[in-house]
Amino acid sequence: MRNLWKNKGFSLINIGGLAIGLASCMILLLYVVYEFGYDKQYKNYKSTYIAYTNMKANGKTFSWAWTPGLLSQELKENVTGVSNSARSSYPISLLIGNGENKLKNKGMFVDPAYLKIFDFDFIDGTSDNILQNINTVILTKSLAKKLFGNHSSINKIVKLDNLEPLKVEAVIDDIPQNSSLTFDYLMPWKLYEKRETWTKKQGWGSNFCLTVVQLQNSNTLAQVNTSIKDLFHRMDKDQENELFLHPLSKWHLYGDFENGKSVGGKISQLKIFLLLAICILLIACVNFMNLSTSRSEKRAKEVGVRKAIGSSRKSLISQFILESTLLSFIGTVVAFILLEISLPYFNNLLNINLIIQYNDWRYWLTLICLILFTGLIAGSYPAFYLSSFEPVKVLKGFSIKAGSAFSVRKVLVVFQFVFASCLIVCTSVIYQQLNYIKNKPLGYNSNGLVQLSAEGNLKNLQKINLLRERLVKAGAVTNVSTLSMSLSNGGNNTSGISWPGKNPNTSVLFNNRAIGYDFVETIGAKMVEGRSISKQFEKDSNSVIFNEAGIKAMGMKNPIGKKIKWDTGENVIVGVMKDFVIDNPFQKVEPMILYSAFKDNVSVILLKLNPSANVTASLSKIDEIVKEINPDYPIDREFVNQSFEQKFENEKLLGTLSNWFGGFAIFISCLGLLGLALFMAEQRKKEISIRKVLGASTGNILTLLNKDFIKLVAIANVIAFPLAYVIINQWLSAFEYRVAISFLPFSLAIVISVLIAILTVSIQSIKVAKANPIDALKYE
Amino acid sequence: MIRIENLEKVYKTEEVETTALNGINLHVKEGEFVSIMGPSGCGKSTLLNVMGLLDKPESGSYKFIDTELLTLNDRERSNFRKRNMGFVFQNFNLIDELTVFENIELPLIYNKIPTAERKKLVNEIIERMNIVNRSGHFPQQLSGGQQQRVAVARALVTKPKLVLADEPTGNLDSSHGNEVMELLCELNETGTTIVMVTHSSHDASFSNRIINLKDGHVISEKINKSRNEELI
Ligand SMILES: Nc1ncnc2c1ncn2[C@@H]1O[C@H](COP(=O)(O)OP(=O)(O)OP(=O)(O)O)[C@@H](O)[C@H]1O
Ligand SMILES: [Mg+2]
Repeated sequence: MRNLWKNKGFSLINIGGLAIGLASCMILLLYVVYEFGYDKQYKNYKSTYIAYTNMKANGKTFSWAWTPGLLSQELKENVTGVSNSARSSYPISLLIGNGENKLKNKGMFVDPAYLKIFDFDFIDGTSDNILQNINTVILTKSLAKKLFGNHSSINKIVKLDNLEPLKVEAVIDDIPQNSSLTFDYLMPWKLYEKRETWTKKQGWGSNFCLTVVQLQNSNTLAQVNTSIKDLFHRMDKDQENELFLHPLSKWHLYGDFENGKSVGGKISQLKIFLLLAICILLIACVNFMNLSTSRSEKRAKEVGVRKAIGSSRKSLISQFILESTLLSFIGTVVAFILLEISLPYFNNLLNINLIIQYNDWRYWLTLICLILFTGLIAGSYPAFYLSSFEPVKVLKGFSIKAGSAFSVRKVLVVFQFVFASCLIVCTSVIYQQLNYIKNKPLGYNSNGLVQLSAEGNLKNLQKINLLRERLVKAGAVTNVSTLSMSLSNGGNNTSGISWPGKNPNTSVLFNNRAIGYDFVETIGAKMVEGRSISKQFEKDSNSVIFNEAGIKAMGMKNPIGKKIKWDTGENVIVGVMKDFVIDNPFQKVEPMILYSAFKDNVSVILLKLNPSANVTASLSKIDEIVKEINPDYPIDREFVNQSFEQKFENEKLLGTLSNWFGGFAIFISCLGLLGLALFMAEQRKKEISIRKVLGASTGNILTLLNKDFIKLVAIANVIAFPLAYVIINQWLSAFEYRVAISFLPFSLAIVISVLIAILTVSIQSIKVAKANPIDALKYE
Repeated sequence: MIRIENLEKVYKTEEVETTALNGINLHVKEGEFVSIMGPSGCGKSTLLNVMGLLDKPESGSYKFIDTELLTLNDRERSNFRKRNMGFVFQNFNLIDELTVFENIELPLIYNKIPTAERKKLVNEIIERMNIVNRSGHFPQQLSGGQQQRVAVARALVTKPKLVLADEPTGNLDSSHGNEVMELLCELNETGTTIVMVTHSSHDASFSNRIINLKDGHVISEKINKSRNEELI
């Protein structure tokens, strides 16, 4: 105890490093546990599956969780092993209101069986006989509260889209954040069929809903998957798509498919974080060991004397272990404080809500294991190492020059810096990649481009024309157009397009979008040839535009004026657009066909803000005019570049986290280096003094001391580079567009790590280098 | 060559203040061999350290030829020291990690002598010191006398004007001690000024002049006639 206090600085560094390491590790573990907990809140999650469709097109297999509406019933009735099945729509943002209290919230349309598969927590009502009636709804707690305040909402009527009166049948607890399906209310599938009448008539080739399946026994998955593989083909000879079930518990983390097989997904990122957590903890332990050992070495004489006067080896070991356990305990307490302080910030950063589960025994178990592990690893080495000193040797004149302890410590420092430099390389490549993708031309100009969601009156083409006239007249915008899907979302696609010379055996998938007049001009895209669809050409109803990728996929020369067949209709190609990015900026632009919007296939209205007008003024003008034309709906608009930004969230998250925790890891490594430098300088005090007497300047001495460390750091870099290369190459390989790995990240790693090493070592040794040499030489 | 006037040095620790040097006046002529003697703790080493610019006195003046050294800053002191002074310590103070050759070479490196010349100078001195076959050894592999010869060689290799020796024979038996004393005498004969601290009147008898310190004062000075006659 007295020793800890006597070496305040040392103890501080030691505890601080350990605390930061532990806190980082715990935060990362909390996050990893959070991610692993995805979709596992439901009692039957192990036997619950999501139906996936594999579709071969454009020479590859697309796998998605969209299925025909007919599937659910067929599975339930005719496939052995399936105990239950339900359809659901994907969450849709719709207006829901209690009188004038209207909110836009996410709703889902589901079969009643859905509520049997997922055991939601019913606060009011039960899962029996629910959503049978077409005009019913289930609210989540927080939505009920928003709509009805503290009053009961059961049997009250809410209005969907200002249209449909729905009776509240039940209130369920809010869906946990780590759930793939997020919604605020559930409505019957029947209502969906009523609203979207086309869904009723769809056959086995039309994939528009999510099908969740429950098996009697999760062991039969393989069997069931074999038996349903060709189900689509059996039901409809024209269908070549294949069907398979993907476990609900893997839905979130294993979301990537290649050739119809699951190939991981977010799990790889999670593994990186797990690795990061373990490595940070190890680094912190290494540090602890390093510092404790060098500190105790200063006490080697004391140990020698103690042993000489008969202190047993055992009591020495227990004394050291006690000391290090005390330190690690204090470290843990500090780590908790750090954790509690930083969690809100971290949650804010990740936009999630991690909390420390103080009342969960598993949490405490993990914590205790963590502490024991740390204490044992960190504390035992110095204890055993020191207590094994031969008293005679120590007293005779203790010198550990190239001794084992020192080289072990060198290895530890190398280990730390391997990690640090790996992190620097990886982080900078992640950063480069992120920038690369972000700066990749979109093919259109997203600056000042606003998407307005088309609801109520704004679904009406006449009203849209009115809106266009008024907005342009007001000078708020220069162009207005429409699109059948948000620019930043995926949407419909079709393989039903044929053209002269098409190989009947191959299937080409085209994204299809309905566009309004002046679409190309509004988004600032370019035409390669031909023309865009505009008001001048009143009879544009069968004109289509392809993007370059589409023309290339068809292998068409001189496409303008050529005729294509789409399902049953015949269309004329009037223009070719330069490729532009929709939905996924990480992937190659897929073939796309654009046609003139008619009737109600408008989901967003695109507004190009007037570049010469003040943005705020333009926006308020827009809001004013939109409200006038469409008074029943709240205004729902967004900047396209902002919604695009959200696409990078995963990568940004990875970048931010590796920045932060990489920073911590480097910081802790520095502490370790500091300890080693402290020890080295102490160790070489006499030599340094002699050199100073002989005329060495402070600079000479610093160079001398730094040389060894730079050597260590250089070795660490040499080890780290291939490692980092493999890791980051692996990470990059998941991207279709990726930066070439250049020398830059590696040189950055060298510069940063060497700089850090020099700074740390110099800060410490400058004291020794500047000290009066005679003090060290005087008494031996 | 050296004029020290009214030198005062006080060590302050938490508990006590020790006046190690209390108004020392000392002149040393060029080519002189001076011994400093006195009881333990009287300030001999302190005086030597101050003369070697390894320690700063509180007050007084220290002129080397015509330069006042006490007003120099750290860098100037260090530069002056490495050009003009050589040190020999009681406990040799060789660097254990370096070979004999490297130990001797060290001051030349800090004096920025080019490699080729360094080699030449070191080899010369190694020959003169009669330790040629030891040049690749580490200090731990040498006897005390040999180590001290290496230390002397190191002090001399830069051809300093002044050599300061603090009990150079203190850790040696009499025969090894004599070897070292003879070395110093030879050195003195080639014109190097030497100031040596010693407890042994035998060693002191090699010098031209013996200065007796007590409690930080010079209490007496004795010219060593036999040596002086020899010199003349
Ligand atoms: N760093 C220091 N701090 C405090 N006091 C010191 C320090 N160095 C020396 N002293 C004191 O100064 C006085 C002179 O010390 P010095 O080493 O010069 O004696 P010395 O004559 O060389 O003795 P010895 O013959 O034992 O080597 C002593 O009383 C000593 O205790
Ligand atoms: Mg002394």
